[in-house]
Amino acid sequence: MEALNGWWDDFFWGSVVVADVFVVALILTVLFGLTGAAAKLSKNRVAQSIANGYTIIFRGTPEILVLLLFYFGSAITLTAIAQISNPEIKYVDIPPFWAGSIAIALIVGSYATETFRGAFLGVEPGQIEAARALGLSNFKTFIYVRIPAMWRLALPPFGNHMLSLIKDTALISIIGLEETLFVAEQAIATTGKPFTMFIVVGAIYLGFSTIITLSVVVLEKYANQHLKIAR
Amino acid sequence: MIFDFALIADSIPKMLAGFWMTFELWFLSAVLGLALAIILLLMRISGRWYLYAPAMAYIYIFRGTPILVQIFIIYHGFPQLEFIRESIFWPILREPYGCAILALTLNTGAYVSEILRGGVLGVDRGLKEAGAALGLSSTHRFIYITSPIAIRLALPAYSNDIISLMKSTALASTITLLDMMGIARTIVAETYAPYEIFLSLGVIYLILTWIIQKSIGLIEKRMSRHVRSEA
Amino acid sequence: MKMIKICLVALSLIVAGVCTASAETLRVGMECTYAPFNFKSADGKLMGYDVDVAKAVGGLIGADLEFVCQKWDGMIPALLANKFDLVIASMSITDKRLKKMDFSDTYRISVGRLVGRKNSGWKLFDSYDKPISANFAGLKVGLERATTYADWFENELPEATVVLYDSNEALYLDLVNGRTDMIMTNPMKAHLRFLSKKDGAGFEFVSPQIDEKKYFGIGVGIGLRKGNDELKARLNEALKTLTDAGWLEKYALQYFPFAIH
Repeated sequence: MEALNGWWDDFFWGSVVVADVFVVALILTVLFGLTGAAAKLSKNRVAQSIANGYTIIFRGTPEILVLLLFYFGSAITLTAIAQISNPEIKYVDIPPFWAGSIAIALIVGSYATETFRGAFLGVEPGQIEAARALGLSNFKTFIYVRIPAMWRLALPPFGNHMLSLIKDTALISIIGLEETLFVAEQAIATTGKPFTMFIVVGAIYLGFSTIITLSVVVLEKYANQHLKIAR
Repeated sequence: MIFDFALIADSIPKMLAGFWMTFELWFLSAVLGLALAIILLLMRISGRWYLYAPAMAYIYIFRGTPILVQIFIIYHGFPQLEFIRESIFWPILREPYGCAILALTLNTGAYVSEILRGGVLGVDRGLKEAGAALGLSSTHRFIYITSPIAIRLALPAYSNDIISLMKSTALASTITLLDMMGIARTIVAETYAPYEIFLSLGVIYLILTWIIQKSIGLIEKRMSRHVRSEA
Repeated sequence: MKMIKICLVALSLIVAGVCTASAETLRVGMECTYAPFNFKSADGKLMGYDVDVAKAVGGLIGADLEFVCQKWDGMIPALLANKFDLVIASMSITDKRLKKMDFSDTYRISVGRLVGRKNSGWKLFDSYDKPISANFAGLKVGLERATTYADWFENELPEATVVLYDSNEALYLDLVNGRTDMIMTNPMKAHLRFLSKKDGAGFEFVSPQIDEKKYFGIGVGIGLRKGNDELKARLNEALKTLTDAGWLEKYALQYFPFAIH
């Protein structure tokens, strides 16, 4: 246990990185998921095929492969794009934090697309008709009527998506993100105690999962509070 | 960015040589994991605290920590402990293959048991009551009434999980196993051509997951043939 | 429309703001888990022989350095993919690598040596220090992926069972717990990190020093992409200054009981 001396603060900062990635990836996941679901439900054939392609690709490929591709592809692709407008630019790159967050958001977002799609289909048509009758535009109906109604249905499976997000963060250590698993590997290089270090990492992630699960329980209570009497 | 097609043509057979390893990892973990999941499920719904408490704790831990961390703890961490090196399990834990199967099995077992439990909970209570009214014992009710329906209900979620399992086998490459991902990383390390190799590997995984999905879809269709489909 | 505009602005800020090249910032790639050449201490500082050389060279050529940690087997692909500009990670200069990238002059010698359990009774090398392939059959050798050691084994001793790792640390862990019979790695590091410590007590070098130029090259150098001859010239000048002024020796002596360039 003494091996951990001096490493506690590194693990702490690693956990902060995990939390940061989680928040960023969560926002992006919701974005990708809603966009994907909207595309799949729209009448537009092109949008539907793109969304279908998106879900098939990102649900069928191993996460580690997506991360490695993003990591190696980002600098070259972005630099090439940037050099179109300004050839002087030597490089444009995104650090592992963003490459990783975007990658895992795309992956979990493809699952979220299906979840949101199912939830949107579960919104009572009566509510939509009422919104129409009141003269709300398509966009306003989407934001003020569909999303709140759908959110209640989507919450339980979305809780699982959030858990996937936090756990996929560990994979980003493979492309150099200095989160807890990365810290553990460096600690092992100097202390030679793999079991101790990895158990600490496991405990940290377990802590995060617990917080997320509890938050989902609270959110579910809040989302269903208007149904309490009806039950 | 020119694609080196000759390299792809050369590498695909090499990567496919790892297919058996990938398949074995996936298949063995799926079967053993299913057995473990059934045991956990029975413990979970037994109603006896000394059975369901450990089961819940196990599921909580294995679903709450990243699979990569679990793999590392088993492969790198266990040998740090004296009693592991001297136990009868050491021959299995010595080999990365044994460690990978163990980690994948323990992980998928936790997830599948929850999926099965969701299926069991989804069985209409009326059916169970009818069974009781007919004089069937609770074991008989479970085997002949609950299980077939629970399995059918759980199939969609189960198919998602075994596809996830297929993707998780790629993580075995981090503990020296030469599955398809391991071979791909070795080729990339020697040829410095990440895009060609990783993109073609992605396509291979896509084909594999597509096959799994279609197969389970067929099983689902067959099991639901008596259910009237919604117009 | 407003949403789309906000998204576009945010996206371009993220991309542009994080790291575009400024006046001479050079990104340096290293493994960060390869004590005592490049590793992180408990207080989070990057230390090691490679780090000292890097900082000195950076100072002499007037560039700011940004260190990027990268797993070894992705080091060269990452350099070629523009993730960093220099590789100062104890990378040996070999013909195979020279096909795809450039190197500065050497700043360290490059050799390999096998480490195995004491008293194993293997006769692996003959009196000319050439390996006897037949005696390697059935023995498991741990090697780090994409290293010169892996190359040497693949070409010289195909009968040996090779186990490939993606990190250096795992080599020692698995040698100790018996998953491999021997490993091949840098002897200086093996000595410092392993043989001179408690967990290396039952182990020793089981081979002479192997320095076949074909695989191990003429030494370790700073790696950079092709086409940067001006930068290469500046690096070589800086290295020459360091060698002549005895700095390289000073850095080495901080970690090793001998000079290594």
